Amino acid sequence: MAQITLDGVNKVFGKNTVIPSLNLEIGKGEFVVFVGPSGSGKSTLLRLIAGLEETSGGRISIEGKDVTMTPCGERGLAMVFQSYALYPHMTVRQNMAFPLEMVGESKASTAAKVEDAARVLDLTRFLERRPSQLSGGQRQRVAIGRAIVRNPTAFLFDEPLSNLDAALRGSMRLEIMKLHQQLESTMIYVTHDQVEAMTMADRIVVLNHGVIEQVGTPQELYERPANLFVAEFIGAPKMNRIGGRIAAAMGAETIGIRPEHLRIVEGEGTWQGSVELTENLGAESHVHVLCGEAGSLVVRMAGAPSVKAGDKINLSPAEGFTYRFDHEGKALR
Amino acid sequence: MHSTPQQREGRLLLAPLVAFLIVFLSFPALVDIVYALSDVTFQTMRAPQIVGFRNFGVVLADPEFWAACWFSLRFGVLTAIIECGLGLALAIFLSPIVSRHGWTLALIMLPMMVAPSMVGLMYRLVLHEFAGPLPHYLTLWFGTSPAFLDANNAFWTLVVVEVLQWTPFAFLLFHVAYISIPAEIREAAAMDRATAWKILWRIELPMMKATIAIALGIRFIDGFRVFDNVFGLTGAGAGGSTMSLSIYIYQSFFKGGQIGQAVAASVLMFLASLVVLYGAAVLKAQLDRRRMAA
Ligand SMILES: Nc1ncnc2c1ncn2[C@@H]1O[C@H](COP(=O)(O)OP(=O)(O)OP(=O)(O)O)[C@@H](O)[C@H]1O
Ligand SMILES: [Mg+2]
Repeated sequence: MAQITLDGVNKVFGKNTVIPSLNLEIGKGEFVVFVGPSGSGKSTLLRLIAGLEETSGGRISIEGKDVTMTPCGERGLAMVFQSYALYPHMTVRQNMAFPLEMVGESKASTAAKVEDAARVLDLTRFLERRPSQLSGGQRQRVAIGRAIVRNPTAFLFDEPLSNLDAALRGSMRLEIMKLHQQLESTMIYVTHDQVEAMTMADRIVVLNHGVIEQVGTPQELYERPANLFVAEFIGAPKMNRIGGRIAAAMGAETIGIRPEHLRIVEGEGTWQGSVELTENLGAESHVHVLCGEAGSLVVRMAGAPSVKAGDKINLSPAEGFTYRFDHEGKALR
Repeated sequence: MHSTPQQREGRLLLAPLVAFLIVFLSFPALVDIVYALSDVTFQTMRAPQIVGFRNFGVVLADPEFWAACWFSLRFGVLTAIIECGLGLALAIFLSPIVSRHGWTLALIMLPMMVAPSMVGLMYRLVLHEFAGPLPHYLTLWFGTSPAFLDANNAFWTLVVVEVLQWTPFAFLLFHVAYISIPAEIREAAAMDRATAWKILWRIELPMMKATIAIALGIRFIDGFRVFDNVFGLTGAGAGGSTMSLSIYIYQSFFKGGQIGQAVAASVLMFLASLVVLYGAAVLKAQLDRRRMAA
């Protein structure tokens, strides 16, 4: 059963329509990730659900109740902000106790809940510190702790990890996933990092100019992208696209082949080209090849590159992994 | 003693500052101390007679000195509190308007642009018992008008004039502090179910605490040493009712020609401010230590 339902929700800032009209259902306990390029309306959509932004039209309901006009505090949601938004003049303990204090929870039960959350998030040692005395990762955990103590219907995250360095981002990602398993509560997570989206989500919502391009599991989005936008957005490096006669020969306006589905072959291949440059990432390499009519293609291969710049090589796509798109970018199946 | 190159360089860089302090501060200070300990008038300024602490004794025994101290203290504390209270309220209530229409800020700042002595003169005209328009119209409409500048009312008239002129200053400080609170903090508090009132008391005011302390301090100092607008409006006032410490010093210096006593009073004022500043620093250090310990 859907726990959060968006029904024809739209948002206009002045003359600027940010979200035209959007329908979405989010199930109980689901981990849903909104992805999309910068300015695609991810934050706006999240803030509409949170109640921090008024809808210009449409209905939002949570657990069957219409909350379109309900102020943000009363929707039973908790939000974790990109800047953490901790109260700088309060200790970690006071920060985490604040939402409980606001609903008049008793001192004893507040203390117990704060201690519990601190234990889960490994913050017990820092309870008496102020946010300014914590590292970025610790601050983020406090922000999550402040959300947990209220036991909300759903958690909303707006790019919570984007201020952290790569290593910390990786470990915090795991922590949030573990937390989701432990609490089994609904989480809506905004990111523009497709690795976060792919690894964390039960379902991904791909947004572009406020329009949902596709909703599905990470696997679905990867294997059966609904259109060129999703195909190019999911997967790194980006899908290769080829137009012109080669695509026309396959009855499409554009065809797409993922770099991992292109092979360097000995002898005769589908396309011939010369290596422009290679990127060695250790476990894998990306080889950029300039192939006459097919244009510039990227090949992903395991380990160190077996070719070097200037080499003449032959490429063949793996059988059955070529995506076809029509003139509007829609996938042809 | 050996010193590292950094220390030597540091001393070298400090030298101009030290020279500046010696020339501009220590010379007047030295003259001050000599005069404070001397019997000196305008005729004997170049040949002061050292008389020890007699001037201080005279000043401390002068009831007018204590009256002036009391006036300045009361005036400084009252105006600082009223200005900061009003400024804070305005900053919070007007913030939606001011942040949308920047030009309103210029309007609010206007009173600060006028020289305080001009403000004093202006109100002296406006409130004058016989010539002033305000008493005239009050009498016309209500049959009576308070004597704004007589001994009983002068203090409060001055407080109102000072508050009208300097509330914008407090407002400006608080406005800047208020708008620099990140929007996400307010949003987080709203998500945490804090009401607007709770957000004000639990989040915004505590975050503006440092600014509030600074504003109170600046406004107190400005009010305590008040001279020009009081001098322009009432002078020492009827029966010395509006004699601030600065006016006391001025009068005994220029009118009384008792240079030694005037300077002794200024030294006392300086010592008092040192004690207050030192006390504030000690208090802050103690609070910080208690917070660290907690
Ligand atoms: N308060 C506002 N007033 C006017 N326009 C706004 C406002 N907030 C957002 N927008 C516009 O709405 C669009 C979507 O913004 P939004 O912040 O939702 O994007 P986003 O997908 O979160 O981007 P990013 O990844 O950069 O955070 C942008 O074009 C932005 O300019
Ligand atoms: Mg955003």
